[in-house]
Amino acid sequence: MARHYIGTTDQFPVGEATLVQVGGRKLGIYRFDDDQFHALLNYCPHQGAELCRGPVTSWLRSPKPGEFQYEKEGEIVRCPWHGWEFDIRSGCMVVDHKVRTLTYDVTVERFDVSVDEGKVYVKI
Amino acid sequence: MTNLGVIDCDIHHNIPDIKAIFPYLPRRYKEQIETWGPLHGGFGHNGGRHGRRFDAFPDGEQAGSNLDFMIKQHFEEYNVKYGILTGEFSSAAMVGDPYYAAALCSAYNDYTIEHWLEKDQRLRGSIVIPYHDIAASVKEIERVGSHPQMVQAYVLGGAAHPYGQRNYHPIYEACLKHGLHFAIHVGAEGASRNATTTGAGYPSYYIEGRAARPQVFMAHMASFVFEGVFELYPELKVIFIEAGVFWIAPYFWRLDQDWKALRPQTPWVEKKPSEYLQTNMYYGSQPLEEVPNKALFDQMLEASFAKDRMLFCSDYPHWDFDSPKLTFPKMEKSLLDNVLYNNAAKLYGLPLQNGTEE
Ligand code: FES
Repeated sequence: MARHYIGTTDQFPVGEATLVQVGGRKLGIYRFDDDQFHALLNYCPHQGAELCRGPVTSWLRSPKPGEFQYEKEGEIVRCPWHGWEFDIRSGCMVVDHKVRTLTYDVTVERFDVSVDEGKVYVKI
Repeated sequence: MTNLGVIDCDIHHNIPDIKAIFPYLPRRYKEQIETWGPLHGGFGHNGGRHGRRFDAFPDGEQAGSNLDFMIKQHFEEYNVKYGILTGEFSSAAMVGDPYYAAALCSAYNDYTIEHWLEKDQRLRGSIVIPYHDIAASVKEIERVGSHPQMVQAYVLGGAAHPYGQRNYHPIYEACLKHGLHFAIHVGAEGASRNATTTGAGYPSYYIEGRAARPQVFMAHMASFVFEGVFELYPELKVIFIEAGVFWIAPYFWRLDQDWKALRPQTPWVEKKPSEYLQTNMYYGSQPLEEVPNKALFDQMLEASFAKDRMLFCSDYPHWDFDSPKLTFPKMEKSLLDNVLYNNAAKLYGLPLQNGTEE
């Protein structure tokens, strides 16, 4: 596992992925409100869309029909194609963490990101 | 992936803006659109972003409206050799004013010819017809049906009457006269003057209507068979696009079984319903059902005659796009080649590749 420098903190806006290429892999780097960073492989395990081009959103729930509650604000990425929702922290598909039908497994590969004096590194 | 490449039978090209069709529209309707907007509808909630993939909007333009962008994002990415354009405009047929509906369809067809078909020889077109008006539909097929890249007349699943019924037959005669097929794409079920979205009425949510599309296609399929359309027009090919696939097998089992008992009511239907499926009907692959395991998938594929009847459809740039690389579980090469390329090549008269049986 190597540490790759990918930029300074101010290059990563909150609320959208910043796409980077590291060691031959395309990643989306997410910066949360609390300045935590997360990195996901930019590849949806369903049918291969560039997952990190999907909107960053929240986990919408409901106690009963017609009522809406928002959780995990800014922590969910919704695939730009079929809309499967992934938890950016864990890389897991929210409704179904486990291996699903046929050939795919619905976890997106995620990588560690660290920040050192305003410099952001990804470990791959 | 197969080295034959892909023929994609459902690509939704679009106009950048309603004004793009103004050069082909009579003044009356241009002025009406400038004052009121296009006023044609037929669609409610959808998925993705305005029904489209989030990544398919070229620099703020309308998804599907930029040929170069489409070639790069779709044709090059997936080795698409030919594409059948289905467009975004068939909801024009839902407009009440029959003259306006016909004018919109004509304008869109002219736009498609000039800005798409004639710019890229890999493209084939679908003639959008104002199908609530049979005479106007025939007129439109007569008008553009001889264009060498037009391959089919095109309607939506949402209809006032099932498509096998007698009043529609002049459309099929016009199609055959010009060597065209007849394609039905889901959409506009329950819209405008069309019959309800489901047999039980209008559901509240998109997911319900979406899952009920097979009901509508079932009605059309049986209507073609039992009204004797394929007896009257044995050369007619009907293509069913975007209602999924694996419901077709058990549905035809039912029709075959009941035909044995009820045959005397429609004695002109000389063959089992599933035989007409195998000679006169085709269906798009998308959205392909996610079958729980590979063994079931193989069985369903076989039971629905996919080897000869299934046409690959991506639905690009819509949100429920199916990737030719990753939609199908592993399939035998000859089967995959047929679905991705050969079936469509034979149907639409596109070049067959080496080694394909005629
Ligand atoms: S490709 Fe991501 S949800 Fe289908």
